[in-house]
Amino acid sequence: MSDDAHYRFPPSEAYRLNECLYAIKSDRAFAERFLADARAATESMGLTEDERADLLGMSRDALVARGAHPYLVFMAGLRLKMLANPSEMEYF
Amino acid sequence: MIVGAFAVAHTPQLLIRPETEDRDLVLRVHAAMRRVRRRLEEMRPDAIAVVAGDHVEAFFLDGVPALAVYVGSECAGTFGPYRYRLRIHEPLARAVVEQGIERGFDLLYTQDAPLDYAFYVPLHFVMPEPAVPIVPLHVNVYLPPQPTPARCHAWGAALGDILRARPERVALLASGGMSHFPGTDRYAAPDFDYDRSLLELLREGRGCEMARLTGEELDKRGNIELRTWITLLGAVGDARAEVYGYEPSWHHGNAVVEWPVGR
Repeated sequence: MSDDAHYRFPPSEAYRLNECLYAIKSDRAFAERFLADARAATESMGLTEDERADLLGMSRDALVARGAHPYLVFMAGLRLKMLANPSEMEYF
Repeated sequence: MIVGAFAVAHTPQLLIRPETEDRDLVLRVHAAMRRVRRRLEEMRPDAIAVVAGDHVEAFFLDGVPALAVYVGSECAGTFGPYRYRLRIHEPLARAVVEQGIERGFDLLYTQDAPLDYAFYVPLHFVMPEPAVPIVPLHVNVYLPPQPTPARCHAWGAALGDILRARPERVALLASGGMSHFPGTDRYAAPDFDYDRSLLELLREGRGCEMARLTGEELDKRGNIELRTWITLLGAVGDARAEVYGYEPSWHHGNAVVEWPVGR
C-alpha cells in the first residue's frame, strides 16, 4: 500500500499514541477519565508532551501526521461525543 | 449447505443516530434490513456465518490477524450503551477453522476476543426470531497490510466448499461498505459513482470480477471494507445480486443486498 493511501501502515513510533486512542474508543472507564481530566488520564500513557497536546485537542490532522490511525481518531472522537452528550442521540 | 447470502451496511449511525444524520434515510436502511430479517426467517438457517472487518476492537496493533474465526460457545462485545452476547455455532465454527487450515489458510482463532460492532450492528436489525447462533469470521480491513481481494475471494471459495459440505443450513452475511472514509479529509466525499458501478456489476452476476480489484483501488474508493463482500462472493460465485437499497448519506454509501443462492 502506497504512502498516500488513506489508511497507512501504522508506524511503531506512534504505538503509544494509537494505544491511547484505542483506550478512549474501547475502554469506557478510561474514556470517562479522559473526559473528566484529559491531562491526568494521559499522565502515565507513555506519550510525548507534543503527542499529549494534540490528543488533548483531538486535533485530527496533527494526530494523523504523527502516525495515529485515522479510524481510531475518528471513533475516539465519536465515543467522547456519545459519552458527553448521550441524550442528543437516537438509539435503535 | 448455504441457504442465503446477504451484504448489509454497519455504520454505527444506523444504531445510534446523532443529529448529523438524516432520520428518514436511516429509517429506509432499517426497512431494507427488515427485508433481510424476513428472508432469514423464511430460510430458517441453523446458523449465520458473519464476515466482518474488526474496527481495531478485538485486534489492536499487538497482534493483527489477516483472517480469524471466533470458536467458542458464545461471544460478546459492547458499543456505547449496547451490551451484546451472541451464541456461536461451535461445531460449525470448529469445522471452518479446522478445514480452513487443512485447505491452506493460516487462520487465527479466538475463544475470547471481544466482538466488534461490525458484527453486531447488522445482527441487531436482521437477526431472525427465534435467534440463531452465528459463526463470526474476521477479515482485516483497517490495518495495512490487509489481505488482497484475490486472497479474500480464495478464502471465500474455500469457506463456501466447507459450508456446502455441512449438514447445517447456513446463511452468509457480509458486513460493511460501501464507500466511506472515516477519520480522513475525504469523510464528506465518498465515491458513490463507484459504488453504483459495483452494484451494477453485482446485479449482472459478475461479482467474481471484484477479486481482481487491488487493495490500492479499494483504499482510493473508500471501499476497504468490501473485502468482506469479496469473501462472500468467493462462496456464492456468480449469483445475481438483488439490491434491496442503496442510500448514500453525506458520508457513507449504505447498501443492503441479497444474492438469492438457495432458491
